[in-house]
Amino acid sequence: MVGVGPDHVAPDALQGIRRQQTNPARWAGEGWREFCAALAAQGVEVLEEPSTRGIFATDAGGTAYGMPHGVVIARSAGQISLLLKTAQNHRVPVTVRGGGLTTEGESVAYGGVLLDMTGMSRVLAVDKTNLSVRTEAGIFWAHLAEHLRRHGMDYLSAPLNLTSSVGGTLGVGGIDVNSPRLGCSADQALALQVVTPTGEIVECSDAQNAELFQRVILGYGQFGVITEATLRIRPYTPLRMRYYHYSSLRAAIEDLQMLDANDASDYSGILTMMDIAITLLVAFDSDERETNFEELFLKRIKGKGEAAFAIGMALHYALRPWRLREALYLWRRKKQLFPEFSRAEHMRDGKMHDRTVVFSRAVWKFWGGRQMVIPDLATSAEKFVEAVERGNAVCRRYFHHYTLYCVGIRLREEHRAHYEMSCIPPDARQRAYGCEFEPIIGDAVVSRDLLQSFKNEIYDIGVDIGASYYRFGGMMKGYIRRAFGDALVDRHLAMKRAADPAMILNRDVIF
Amino acid sequence: MDHHECSGCSLCLLVCPVWRETRDVRLTPRGRAKAIQHGMSRSDIVRSVEGCTLCGACEPACPEELPLVDMVMELRRDVPLPGVSGKSISRRTHMLLAGRVLGADPDRRQRTLALLGEGFELAKDDGPDIALALETGATLAADRLQRFLAPLRAARRLVVAESILLRSLRRWLPGVESVGIGEALTPLVRQKLRAGDLYVIESRAFNGDRARLVGHYDRLRAVSGCEMNLDLQRIAIPVMGPGAEAQARWILEGRDVERIVVEDLGERAAFAFSGRPVLHLADL
Repeated sequence: MVGVGPDHVAPDALQGIRRQQTNPARWAGEGWREFCAALAAQGVEVLEEPSTRGIFATDAGGTAYGMPHGVVIARSAGQISLLLKTAQNHRVPVTVRGGGLTTEGESVAYGGVLLDMTGMSRVLAVDKTNLSVRTEAGIFWAHLAEHLRRHGMDYLSAPLNLTSSVGGTLGVGGIDVNSPRLGCSADQALALQVVTPTGEIVECSDAQNAELFQRVILGYGQFGVITEATLRIRPYTPLRMRYYHYSSLRAAIEDLQMLDANDASDYSGILTMMDIAITLLVAFDSDERETNFEELFLKRIKGKGEAAFAIGMALHYALRPWRLREALYLWRRKKQLFPEFSRAEHMRDGKMHDRTVVFSRAVWKFWGGRQMVIPDLATSAEKFVEAVERGNAVCRRYFHHYTLYCVGIRLREEHRAHYEMSCIPPDARQRAYGCEFEPIIGDAVVSRDLLQSFKNEIYDIGVDIGASYYRFGGMMKGYIRRAFGDALVDRHLAMKRAADPAMILNRDVIF
Repeated sequence: MDHHECSGCSLCLLVCPVWRETRDVRLTPRGRAKAIQHGMSRSDIVRSVEGCTLCGACEPACPEELPLVDMVMELRRDVPLPGVSGKSISRRTHMLLAGRVLGADPDRRQRTLALLGEGFELAKDDGPDIALALETGATLAADRLQRFLAPLRAARRLVVAESILLRSLRRWLPGVESVGIGEALTPLVRQKLRAGDLYVIESRAFNGDRARLVGHYDRLRAVSGCEMNLDLQRIAIPVMGPGAEAQARWILEGRDVERIVVEDLGERAAFAFSGRPVLHLADL
């Protein structure tokens, strides 16, 4: 025995704090043996040894724990079809997992089968003429980028973490610093191969089986398992970054939205150290675009350059010596973080190469950890400042250190049906905005109830102002009816029951 | 060394040659760590421990900076390595440890020595049994290790072709500069590299010291114009183990190269399918 590590659910997790949301009940395992025997007869292997099941006991959030009865490593659409047909017959829940980067337990199996989609992660075809790629859906975005780069190509937008899977991302959204211009990752899908909850293998797109396409995209895995995806791609370009610094969230957001509305940059987003040091990132794919920005928009930016901002900060803290500790934290954090964005091996002629790697490695190094909660608010452009300011006030009350990450998401009006009951707020037009509120927990162990209370306060803001959320499944699903209303949720529930009679697929994530 | 520090980010999977070959998370650093975190013993994950190629690609990828190679080697070992001590019996300050493959090729071994210069001597004992023991986790006898290290203690610079040894030599002989054969030879042959070459960095040596070497190879790439077996994270894609040819095929995918130049002579065979000339550094 090598030894069992510390329990990451802190010892006070059940003491004194009213529990507001809990994990789903574990499936009791009725008929499991017969189910496994039926699968074995069809040549589908179920891995039941604890050493395999334990690998999938939690997700990136590290606050939801559950053990599947068995694990199936995805190998083909045919195999998944057999699995789902058999699961329907035996009423065994199947939880699908890609990169496992959910934070609310959405990819944690509370019993039943855990389907590990990373077993299907090969690129099938790159079409440079029509600018598309066909890939198995369990592939990590980083691996897709590796393949595309060999052909001088790149994907359009993907989450900044390297290890989200394509299929998982298409099911929930996916934002990038080019989403204000190119939309969320889910909007890059041209066609999908889907295994429905009853085991049919179906090709779908806007033109073929459009209704299934609409439900599977941004569908939180309720209406099928994405096994293959055709995605839009583009020629690869390095980019040139610029940073502008603010001490006001409102000013930074106003500039962000001004740039987005005018299509002034190819990439844009806000990253903060609490609400003290706020950085607006803008970047460009070409010198022409950068020159255009300099000529037309630079003077309108209210943010400061690094030196001017540093002087302002020094004066600010010189007048507030009792906040020296905060100043030191900011200084150390900046000193560690910003060099990561300009590492020599990724810079050539002042341009950043492989931004996905640069950003994502920084994300894991500076924000990653064994516990991660990232509640978010997604709103229309008009409501965004209020959402961020109110969410920031909540962060201030709960944590000494935290980060806000804000980005716009260009919408495709022809995909409005995809957006129903998703992270895209129904009142957003042309562009939605999202803000993630992430406490910096580091090596500390924080009570799960404290984290849950924090998330609830953020999500209450969303209910109050009429926002949506990126992470509304799993432990946060109690907000779904409050956010979307009974009529819409009941309509989707009826569709789910029709598509998944035994309600086996990704049970407890949404319904 | 603590498997419990693994946060489960999966960055190690991106670079793991075993994962690329099998798409089976159980056989990866993350799979091992998560299994151990959930109470499994070494015997429960023996297939995973044995399947690791020790290429070291996972180490620079890990944001927690875990010593993942040492963790596997520890899981493989029956008993801890004994401490070593001993007196110097050699006055040679520059030595080449040719290793199993280069050692068995007298022509290239001599050319390598010639490239390194007059001050270098071939180590009579380059520790093939010790390299094997490190790789397999077999017990190392203390007296054997002492005999191996004794003539190396007075050295100022060791060039080590067997990169599994390189890692341990740095720990055993902290006062001696131990470098891989690629790092030693590239300054001497870089003018012979050219655009159109695929330069294959030996992954264990590079990944084990990536923070220092990434700049070295970036400059080499800039000067020569050659392509390299580096992924987007600038981690060396390994060419070793049962899946060596599959890795070589992945390295060549989408690339139009004229020559392939390898640091590790043992990796030549994996590229034979390509039909292109495959040269060792000593052949340049």
